[in-house]
Amino acid sequence: MDAWIALARGPLFRISLAVFVLGLGYQVAETVLSAFLAWRRAGDRSLPVGAIARATARWVLPVRLMRAHPLASVASVVFHAAILLVPLFSLGHVALWRTGTSIPWPVLPAGVADALSVAALVALAGLAVGRLSSRVGRGLSRAQDLLVLVLLGGVVAAGLLAAHPAWAPVDARAMLLAHLLLADATLALVPLTKMAHCVLFPFLQLVFEVGWHFPAETGRHVAIALAKENEPV
Amino acid sequence: MAISCSYYLEPVDTRDLPGRFLEAFAAILAHSSYAPVLDAAARAGARCGRCTVACPVHQASGEARDIPCNRTELVLAVYRRYFTLGGMVRARLGNAFTLDEGHISRMAEDLYRCTACRRCKLECPFGIDHGLITHFGRWVLAEVGIIPKALRVAVREQLEGKTHNTSAIPAAALRDTCAFLEEDCRDTHAIDVRFPIDEQGAEFVFFPAVSDYLLEPDTLTGNAAVLTATGASWTIGSQYFDGINYGLFYSDRMLDRIVSLEAAELKRLGARRILIGECGHASRAAKAFVKTFCGGRDAPEVVNIMEYTADVLRRGLLHLRPGTIEERVTYHDPCNIARSGWIVEQPREILRTICSDFVDMTPKGRENYCCGGGGGSVSIDEIRPFRTKVGGAAKAEQIRRTGATTVVAPCANCKKQLREVCDDNGLGHVKVVGLHDLVLLAIDAPASMRVAAGPKEGA
Repeated sequence: MDAWIALARGPLFRISLAVFVLGLGYQVAETVLSAFLAWRRAGDRSLPVGAIARATARWVLPVRLMRAHPLASVASVVFHAAILLVPLFSLGHVALWRTGTSIPWPVLPAGVADALSVAALVALAGLAVGRLSSRVGRGLSRAQDLLVLVLLGGVVAAGLLAAHPAWAPVDARAMLLAHLLLADATLALVPLTKMAHCVLFPFLQLVFEVGWHFPAETGRHVAIALAKENEPV
Repeated sequence: MAISCSYYLEPVDTRDLPGRFLEAFAAILAHSSYAPVLDAAARAGARCGRCTVACPVHQASGEARDIPCNRTELVLAVYRRYFTLGGMVRARLGNAFTLDEGHISRMAEDLYRCTACRRCKLECPFGIDHGLITHFGRWVLAEVGIIPKALRVAVREQLEGKTHNTSAIPAAALRDTCAFLEEDCRDTHAIDVRFPIDEQGAEFVFFPAVSDYLLEPDTLTGNAAVLTATGASWTIGSQYFDGINYGLFYSDRMLDRIVSLEAAELKRLGARRILIGECGHASRAAKAFVKTFCGGRDAPEVVNIMEYTADVLRRGLLHLRPGTIEERVTYHDPCNIARSGWIVEQPREILRTICSDFVDMTPKGRENYCCGGGGGSVSIDEIRPFRTKVGGAAKAEQIRRTGATTVVAPCANCKKQLREVCDDNGLGHVKVVGLHDLVLLAIDAPASMRVAAGPKEGA
């Protein structure tokens, strides 16, 4: 068991982290580059940078979220806060981050980390129920949407049980291994699934704004490409 | 299989329609900025469902096809399958989506159920602009001949007809109408307004929605009264005088050609700025796309008449009699000028001055509800029940809640739609007017404009 844990914590984690960093880096670079190239072709290159920043900030500080679907919105905010804070600042993870580095790293009190984990699980369950209980939610959901919830729920639940052996239904080492393997899989899947929005979302605001800034010759070039220059309306 | 949709089409050549659709899709992607947009939407779409609460059409219809995410998915399915590596690989492995006439038919219907109000963008955590993707999808459809007939016929007259305007008003009739409006204003309001035509070197060339010349004389006279009272240097061009731009609703190629006509008229008259009348889409089309298609930074500035009026009111150049309008008045924000926050407060400043009982709708401004006639649908008379009972349901309820008897809608399309919404939703007592209709009643004209009231009709 220890050898498997070492594998999951060592080489597998490093591979997953590399996929995560390189994958997201590629996605960000591709998104920014394509937006830049589109902007360079635009007939009007003025961009409402302030509006883009405000639109991004509105979702970083999600006061607005609460106004529509308040329950789902609260669940979403709690869930996002927990899955950002716990992996970065819970004691067990900080020990991992500190390995081989001298970076001082703040630590969440164990009680707070546990509370956040439980809140994340409740929120995840709420989001899943919300998706599955309404006709609209079911209609919108793809397999990916549910698998991501299951995967993240598995990571958090296994982590919580691994940290509290007394609560675990099976050997705590097995829970730790499950937590590590699921976390590795999650990290590697972030760039390949909708979870990529964790870093992409400010750039998406930019892309959609640039999208309205058409090249000056777009119509003429499309007409030429389709041999419609002289075609009547 | 013929294309089946709820609006009239001119005959569509259905030979190899999917092939021609993909050819148009590819040509537009190659020569536009839509590729990164579709790519970003395809990768990031979370399908969280928040857009369901933003879309007034979905709220009223309850139909899955009216959820903005689902509408976008119609376009993305084509993009993923035919324009991404993953889609091509999946196709090799079998069991992939294949574009057929049924899918194109569905796009033809669903993309035109959207009012292009872009309210869903405000609710999308990732900022996915479903309106932009619908805009793109409509352009692809247009290149294979799928365009609502009402829009196509209007653009045809504007670009290729004898009159070069969507209402087919000859220049001679324009001159007669302007002369009549001047005379009528003297008789009715005892003020002298001018509608200058073809004056060289003016600061502004005025482009209202051309239908105002036929249907909204008070709006136009109000515009002219403000411009005359404040000594504006302006003119109407006899060779091109239509602000309407239905290219915005279905084809960037047409959008380009139409805004270029405005810029050309400005150049012919040696004027400096484009002044758009009370019309939401005309204002946005000019404001956003004159710069795009007519010179970038060197393009002429575009001003909306409400911006002008609010500005001269603030500067004390325009005098309005406070509290002239006594009935309860509310204001409808046209999506095309309010969603970006461009024109939200200016009309309210004017209305708070001249109305003694002004009430706002909720929500308002950037978050307003569409009248239900956006995206060109107002011109499609054959879908009136959908427009007024579904698309306009949220707006009808908003109006009802204000208790107002007058709705100010500074947009030719919104006015037509709101009158029909009120008629079809038990609000027949509500009057829908333009902003300058009320300004005309409240203007405290300078002495130089005042004339002795002439004989009233029927007197």
